[in-house]
Amino acid sequence: MTQADTATPLLRARGITKHYGAVVALDAVDLDLHAGEVLGVVGDNGAGKSTLIKALTGAISKTAGTVEMDGKDIQITTPTEAKAAGIETVYQDLALVNELSITKNMYLGREIVRDTLFGHLFGTLDFAKMDTEIRALFQKLDIRITDIYREAEAFSGGQRQAVALAKTVMFGKRIAILDEPTAALGVRESKMAMDLVRSLKDHGLSVIMITHNMQHVMNYCDRVMVLRLGRLAAVRDVADVDGDTLVGLITGAAEDKVA
Amino acid sequence: MTDLPRPSAPPVSAPTPGGSNLDVLKHQFQQIWQVLAALALIYMVFFVLSEPFRSFDTLLSIFGQAAILAILACGTTVVLISGGLDLSVGSIFAVVGVIVGIVLAEYRLPVPVAVLIGLAAGALMGALNGTIQVLTKVPAFIVTLGGLTAYKGIAEILASGRDLSRFPENFQVLGSGYLVPMGIMFGVALLTGLFLTKTRLGNHAFAIGGNEEVARLSGVNVRKSRIYYYMIGGVLAATAAILEVSKLNFAMPARGQSYELFAIAAVVIGGTSLFGGRGGVGKTLIGMLIMQTIIVGLSYLGVGTSVQRIAIGIIIILAVYWDVWRRPAR
Repeated sequence: MTQADTATPLLRARGITKHYGAVVALDAVDLDLHAGEVLGVVGDNGAGKSTLIKALTGAISKTAGTVEMDGKDIQITTPTEAKAAGIETVYQDLALVNELSITKNMYLGREIVRDTLFGHLFGTLDFAKMDTEIRALFQKLDIRITDIYREAEAFSGGQRQAVALAKTVMFGKRIAILDEPTAALGVRESKMAMDLVRSLKDHGLSVIMITHNMQHVMNYCDRVMVLRLGRLAAVRDVADVDGDTLVGLITGAAEDKVA
Repeated sequence: MTDLPRPSAPPVSAPTPGGSNLDVLKHQFQQIWQVLAALALIYMVFFVLSEPFRSFDTLLSIFGQAAILAILACGTTVVLISGGLDLSVGSIFAVVGVIVGIVLAEYRLPVPVAVLIGLAAGALMGALNGTIQVLTKVPAFIVTLGGLTAYKGIAEILASGRDLSRFPENFQVLGSGYLVPMGIMFGVALLTGLFLTKTRLGNHAFAIGGNEEVARLSGVNVRKSRIYYYMIGGVLAATAAILEVSKLNFAMPARGQSYELFAIAAVVIGGTSLFGGRGGVGKTLIGMLIMQTIIVGLSYLGVGTSVQRIAIGIIIILAVYWDVWRRPAR
């Protein structure tokens, strides 16, 4: 038992299970996320990390399991329901549409419509307002992208991830869920992305972050849960664990510290 | 799909330039200047080679002849941008022509009523195409190929044993001459362009065509939107059909044959991606003008329709090759 378990968690998931036909991708996984914490999710490839967050956020339907927020049952069966509950997600490789401008990507699905009768009737977009909000946010987060009218494909991996994370700052009310925010990024770009992850916390969001990077777990997470072969293998306070032990938990050879 | 960072891209810390309205305009122009240049070049070639081609009347006739197909192609543009495909618009065109003919020649209803009935029929058939795809998950190619033959059959059944000609004079105005169809073409193109660039539903067409899964995860109602895009394709096919019935002063189910292919050709020549996510009606208008200029120019040079078809065929392949070539490798 960790100390945080005593309070009612912000998000409490119980018995999250996902079957693909005969394959059990996720087997009765429990997850608690407390207000204001960064929870790391680690595990080997195929451990069920992405499946877990997709099941939590309604991107895929779960076979079984319940989710509570603030101690009350909630049903999240579509990404829209997750957003309505204040949960923003950055899915790996599925954050931005290459062909859309940064502005359109930031507001995709939540565009600001002109506040006129005509605007509400035909859904005409208020680009000036969206641009202004994005520029203000980028400045606040120190994201140095000014040509936000340009298509997302024109930007580097780091810039794209920065945009995706900025989107969670803009719209996330309670929880940000990140699937490997530094995958495929260089060292400097990773640092930039992780600074943004930290600023999510500063903006009052609780964070669930999948990562392969033990350094990031140690430096940025409060607690960490380990998945192995679709099952919850361990939950630890980061302060009580070291990298070698974590790797041991991930591979299932906890005694083999050099693994 | 993996998105690896491209080595040539600027690092995060370097501020990216631009942001003024001029930069935005420049950016938009960069996407269209190549097809505009191609059109100008092709026009110049025929201008030099053929004396009668140089007249203003020729220019007018290029626009005039392009008008009806261009209106249809505006709808095709929307559908292709959204990652869809509608092979049935030529047959929708035939059905609407026949329906409008019946309403005018047999029921003698007022022209605006006939036009509205025609547009509604087009919307309905387009919506049916979209709905079947969304519900059955049968690919667009197959569903609309089915529509191509089924709607054609409906047009034949509706028209059999009927004389659909000699319409009221105030109806004939719509398609007569070059100016009215041209005006309607520009009006339709403007409205479609505004729809695509300025409205939420229009923007979602690019998002869905670009990456349907990201659009869905972002909360876009992909299925409902798709049905709307096919409806727009149907309505614009109907608009084109109404103009042609008016122009010819008769309706028959054989009209509209292969129009879907000419429309797709114009859209692709203009630079709208066959793979979805990019494009626009301005490009489609230019694509249609390129095609029409070649047809008119070649016939002025005494080249027969068979060779014209070969030329258009080659240009379609080159246009798609260009689209494939400039797409970033993933």
